[in-house]
Amino acid sequence: MKIETKALEALLSGSHILKGIDLDIGDRELVGVIGPNGSGKSTLLKCIYRVLKPAKGAVYLDSKPLDSYSYRDSARRVAVVAQHNYYNFDFAVKDVVLMGRSPHKRALDRDTAEDWQIVAESLETVGMTAFADRSFSTLSGGEQQRVILARALAQRTPCLILDEPTNHLDIKYQLQLMDLVRGLDRTVIAAVHDLNIAAMYCDRLYAVKAGRIVGQGAPKTLLTSEFIREVYEVDAQVMTDGDGCLHILFHPGGRGA
Amino acid sequence: MAGRKDNCRASLWLAALILLLAALALSLLAAVTIGSTDIPISDVYHVIFYKLFGAGDPVWGEGNLFRAVWFLRLPRLILAAGIGVSLSVCGVVMQAVVKNPLADPYVLGISSGASLGATLAIMVGVGTVFGANSIGIMAFLGAFGVSLLVVGLANVGSRANSVKLLLAGMAVSSVCGAFSNFIVYTAHDREGMQTVTYWMMGSLAGATWEGDAAVLLVALLGAGFFWTQHRNLNLMLLGDESAITLGTDLHRWRQLYLLVSAAMVGFAVYSAGMIGFVGLVVPHAVRMLFGTDHKKLIPLCALSGAVFLVWADVACRVIIPGTELPIGILTSMIGAPCFIYLMARKKYGFGGGG
Repeated sequence: MKIETKALEALLSGSHILKGIDLDIGDRELVGVIGPNGSGKSTLLKCIYRVLKPAKGAVYLDSKPLDSYSYRDSARRVAVVAQHNYYNFDFAVKDVVLMGRSPHKRALDRDTAEDWQIVAESLETVGMTAFADRSFSTLSGGEQQRVILARALAQRTPCLILDEPTNHLDIKYQLQLMDLVRGLDRTVIAAVHDLNIAAMYCDRLYAVKAGRIVGQGAPKTLLTSEFIREVYEVDAQVMTDGDGCLHILFHPGGRGA
Repeated sequence: MAGRKDNCRASLWLAALILLLAALALSLLAAVTIGSTDIPISDVYHVIFYKLFGAGDPVWGEGNLFRAVWFLRLPRLILAAGIGVSLSVCGVVMQAVVKNPLADPYVLGISSGASLGATLAIMVGVGTVFGANSIGIMAFLGAFGVSLLVVGLANVGSRANSVKLLLAGMAVSSVCGAFSNFIVYTAHDREGMQTVTYWMMGSLAGATWEGDAAVLLVALLGAGFFWTQHRNLNLMLLGDESAITLGTDLHRWRQLYLLVSAAMVGFAVYSAGMIGFVGLVVPHAVRMLFGTDHKKLIPLCALSGAVFLVWADVACRVIIPGTELPIGILTSMIGAPCFIYLMARKKYGFGGGG
């Protein structure tokens, strides 16, 4: 599944958040979107997963404008793990995951054995099988995040969008989740906070600052100390370890590299 | 493995459904034998059998006893069941529509709209063209009109969402309440005031077969409709953004659900005035036992609501010998302590995380 945006602009309550974004994401690519707070990462993703309507420009799924898809059809192609999943009502974990099947259902369709099978597999994938009957609201933030990922997996879409997926997770689950995502063999777009995680897992990175793309490319070519200083305004040292893995070390404020 | 466990779970709630259906039938059969006048149980059933199946002595088809059973007790019970279905189902739906566990069928100004309509009818005589039940019809119009107004207001500026709906409902509510009070205060009509107060307490005493048919039809159609919407109702609890990523734009559905609910509640108000707490307590009680999934919640609430109101009506008739308590008072008297009990139990957090 290919995803493109062309000259995408977006407004949030009057302020110009995205000022012309061009993305071009190929089939089964794992693309990270990086950038400082308030740079427009989430807004960009929201335009792609249709919660926000772009002011100008458009998003294309497989070269067809997103607007030409029904919500049902786009939800069969793109699944989302968004930030903030707080629910006012109590659902069982498996019911939350089952909702991932809704884009495949008409009003009078029953939940089939296949649907439950998919729910079980998705829970298995994120390692939450034992929690199937627990109440969603009693889980920790990280566990909830994994359940929402399971719901997105249950949608069985060729593309997955993750908005800061590792936010609530401790390091073990951060790595586990990113390993899992990389193993999915789908098109993935993820907003990533942690540059080390981005460097470790993403095929390609787009850097966003003040609503514009300020750089893109493979982590190794894009992430240099100069670039990090330009985008994040901090000093950092970029090293490559024996396995060819990129590591970014940050320096405390006021101390030069 | 998970499949079998889920099957077992599925049969559990289906069993509860069948049990409740049986309970409703038995409740109706039992409740019809209880009343303020003493009629032997066998006589009651003789009348019913005669009317339903034409079996037995034609003498059962006439006289005071026949009238008491066939024109007073039975229509009243059927009405209680119908309204129980409407109020409980609308309670569930409203809680989903505004995404708030504190909502009840009257939350979006429907109650104050109905009261304003009734007050206008009683105090000012608006709607006398509607004839005998002008109060009920005006209340219905008030309820329905206010729902339209609330939906309209919530859509001003940007698309309606649950918070805007709730705020619009509260605003319209207080305006309607103020106008009702204004009319009551300036009318200087002691008798009218009493009628308004009495009407606000709710009563099933006015039940007729014709009215029942309408209420029951609306209740069953509405409940059936909402049962088919269980997926969307579930999605509503996740919020608009999650729903879009799961393939449904809830905006239009929300308005449709509000209008269907307004019609259901409007008919209930039309035939029995305001009956509080049923629409709040029944959904929470069922949710506590069977979870939040609307596929189970809608039918279970419909039946529990019906059973609850049938027995509440029986209690109204027998609790104080010789007089009849308005059912709205009784449901609040029973309902509020039940609600407090639910709140006090740690296990059920009303979704707040507990």
